[in-house]
Order: sequence, then C-alpha cells, then structure tokens
Amino acid sequence: MSSLFVLNAAHLHLVLNHVPTLGMAVGLALLLLALIRRHEVLVHVGLEVLFVIALVTLPVYVTGAAAYAHLRSGADFSDIAARMHQDVALTGFAVTEFAGFVAWVALWQSRRIGRAGRGLVAAATVLSIIALAIMGRAATLGGEIHHPEIRAEGVAPPVVGTNGEKVDVTDQFVAARISRYMVNSTWAWPAAETIHFLGLSLSFGVLLAINLRLLGVMRQVAFADMHRLLPWALLGFGANLITGMLFFVGQPGQYVDSPPFHWKVVFLLIAGANFLYLTVFKKAWADDGFDSRFADKAMAVSSIAAWLIVLYAGRMLPFLGNAF
Amino acid sequence: MWAMPTVLTLHTTGMAVLVGASWVLDLRLLGINRNVPLSAYRWVFRAVAIGLIVNLITGVLLFMKNATTWGTALPFLAKMAFVVASAATILPIRTYVLNSGAGPNEISGRARMLAVASIVAWTAAVTAGRLLAYLVP
Repeated sequence: MSSLFVLNAAHLHLVLNHVPTLGMAVGLALLLLALIRRHEVLVHVGLEVLFVIALVTLPVYVTGAAAYAHLRSGADFSDIAARMHQDVALTGFAVTEFAGFVAWVALWQSRRIGRAGRGLVAAATVLSIIALAIMGRAATLGGEIHHPEIRAEGVAPPVVGTNGEKVDVTDQFVAARISRYMVNSTWAWPAAETIHFLGLSLSFGVLLAINLRLLGVMRQVAFADMHRLLPWALLGFGANLITGMLFFVGQPGQYVDSPPFHWKVVFLLIAGANFLYLTVFKKAWADDGFDSRFADKAMAVSSIAAWLIVLYAGRMLPFLGNAF
Repeated sequence: MWAMPTVLTLHTTGMAVLVGASWVLDLRLLGINRNVPLSAYRWVFRAVAIGLIVNLITGVLLFMKNATTWGTALPFLAKMAFVVASAATILPIRTYVLNSGAGPNEISGRARMLAVASIVAWTAAVTAGRLLAYLVP
C-alpha cells in the first residue's frame, strides 16, 4: 500500500485545520438560526453538519501530529509552541467528538419520533460553542508555531524552575503524559487493545445486521426495528475511538507515516458518512414490506466494504507499518 | 511475508462476524427490540457458522506457527476453553430460536441465561485471545 498523501502532512493539516473552526461556526449558526426561526429541517441540517465536523476533525488531529513529527527536528521550530497547540487541540478534539455524538443522538431520535428533543439540541448547541472556543484557541496557538511575530508575551511555560534548575517541560503536557502512561504501563496498552477488539465486534455485528436488512435479509422486519440497534453500533465505535486515540496519542510515530493508517482514516470517514445515511434516510421507513432501492443496496455494500477495509488496514498496521 | 498478516486479518474478520452476530441475537434475547420476531434472526446462525469455520482454519494455522509455546501456555488453554464454552451456548440458543413462533415472543428465563452466558463467554474469549499476544512470547 502506498501513501495517500500527495501533499505533505503539514500542508494537508493547513488545508484541513479550518474545518473544526469555520465548519463548527457554520453548524452553530445553522442551529441558532433554527432555534430563532423554529424550523425543524434547519435543526436537522445543523445537527448533520455537527456530525460531519466531528468526523473530519479526526484527520485534522492526525495530520497535525504528522506535521509535528516531521517538523520538530527543524532548527527554528518551537517545540513548546507546538506542544501547547497540540494539547489545546486534543481537548478541542474531545469536545468536538462529544458534540458530534450528542448531535447524532438527536438525529437518531428525530428519525424515530419526528423531532429532535429540545434538551439534546440545546446540549449540542452549548457543546459546539465550547468546542468552537477551544478550537479557536488551538488555531491561534497553531498559527504562533511558525509566526513568532504574533506570539503573545509570556505564554510559554518557563524552562527553568524557581531555583534555577532545568525543568522537563514536556511533563506539563497532557499528550506527553498520556503517551508516557500508554508506553510505560504494562497493562494499559493490552487492555486498550482488548477493548478495541470487543468494540469492533459489537460495531461490526450490529452494522452487518442492519446492512443485511437493506440487502434483503430479514425482509419481514420493519427497518424501524433495525434502526433501534444503531446506538449499539455507536457504543462499540465510541469505545474504539477512545482506545484508538489512546494508541495514537501514545505512539504517534507508529502511525503518522504508516500507509495502512492513512487508508484506515480515509475509510473511517466513508464508513462514518454511511452511518449518517443509515441514521437519517427516509425511504426505508415508508412501509414495512420495503424493498430497498438500488441506492440503498449500494450504501449497504459500501458500508460493509468500508468497515472491512478499516478492519484490514488496522490489522495490517504492525506489518505494513511499524506499529505493535 | 503476506501469509501471516492475511491469516491474522481473516481471523479478526471472522471474530467480528462471529462475535458481533452472536451479540446481536443475545441482545434480542435480553429484550432489545422485543417486537421483532425471533424467526427474523435465523441468518445469525449462518453468519456464526461462517465465522467459526474461518476462525477454526485460520486459528489452526496461527497455532501451528506457535505450537511449541502456545501448546502449554495457560492463556491459550483458557482461550480455547472460552471459545468452546461460547460455541456451546449457540446450540441451545439455536434450538430455542428455531422452535419459536413467528409473532413477538416471550423469552424464557433459560434463554436469557444462555444469552448472558454467551455475551460473557465471547468477551472472555476475545480478551484471552488478544492478551495472548502480550502474555505468551
């Protein structure tokens, strides 16, 4: 497998990094407009935008880590500025994913009962405001990495302690501490791997069932009943996103230049888009004896294929890349 | 060079199909989607059979590579015990599902127990299998 990246990682990061800030601002604007105009369709669009932003924020973080791995050895590169940016970005990533999760629950619910719960929409709105604020800060700190002229005075933590001794500044960073823990602990990595495998079984099994329904198996079951299973798939996926990020933050060097990892991220995005389609599309709900249209069958096949490629690329990480 | 990664990937895919399909049925037996007739879940047994066959073949291949160390290793023997226990829960569950009618079904207490046993045993089997890579060199 050769790498997907025509652009180098730093360039790709510069292209993608506007999504969590500008995209989130658009999603938030849609939700606020929907609240003012009391327009249900606008609410759905706003929630869907939040879900898509949560998806795309994954490659933003990944390409950022790749850019850091490539640039950190440069002579005029500020390691501290980059680490400060990374820590804020990691927090922003977590809040963005949570906002996307809440948005998804609201979308799932609105598909079932016709409208999204007001509490969920309010929670998604508040979370996206917080995510936007943190990502704005991350963007500022990111810009300062290569633009020392805009760097605020006194933001960098002191390298020298109060008594003049040298302090290991990396200790102060969350990402560095997660990494140290994942690498040094005897059980953290194996435990996370185990949860990762259990999560993949749950997600894959549930999505296999739902997609088989679209392909004509279990024809007598209403699609609405299969739709009820979707949160179980997201439960498995959530476990895998968390454990996957622990691996990535733990040992970014294993992944950033690994072609199977690049493919895995790309097909995760495709699988995520499929997941959104399964959540919100209307046609399957029309009647109980529903015969899937060609487009739905194509969606089902591409969903299963995308997850198989994600699984294959993930399993190949130790062989085609250098992960353990 | 390609043999080992391919066998491992097939083993993982087989696991996802086998364990995932089992869990979907177990969730139904425990009351998730209780208005769906059990007869709709017959495909699960075909998926489980395919997963089991794939993993039996790939599992034997993986074992052959490590027979001398795995043969006496406790984590490996534990995994085998869990796999056998998990697979053993499928047979009575299958009988139960095939004998149930077409309408919404009440699930017997025994079937619920089997579903819980199946979830626990598969979790243990996957855990033991994954930890095998770390515990046994």
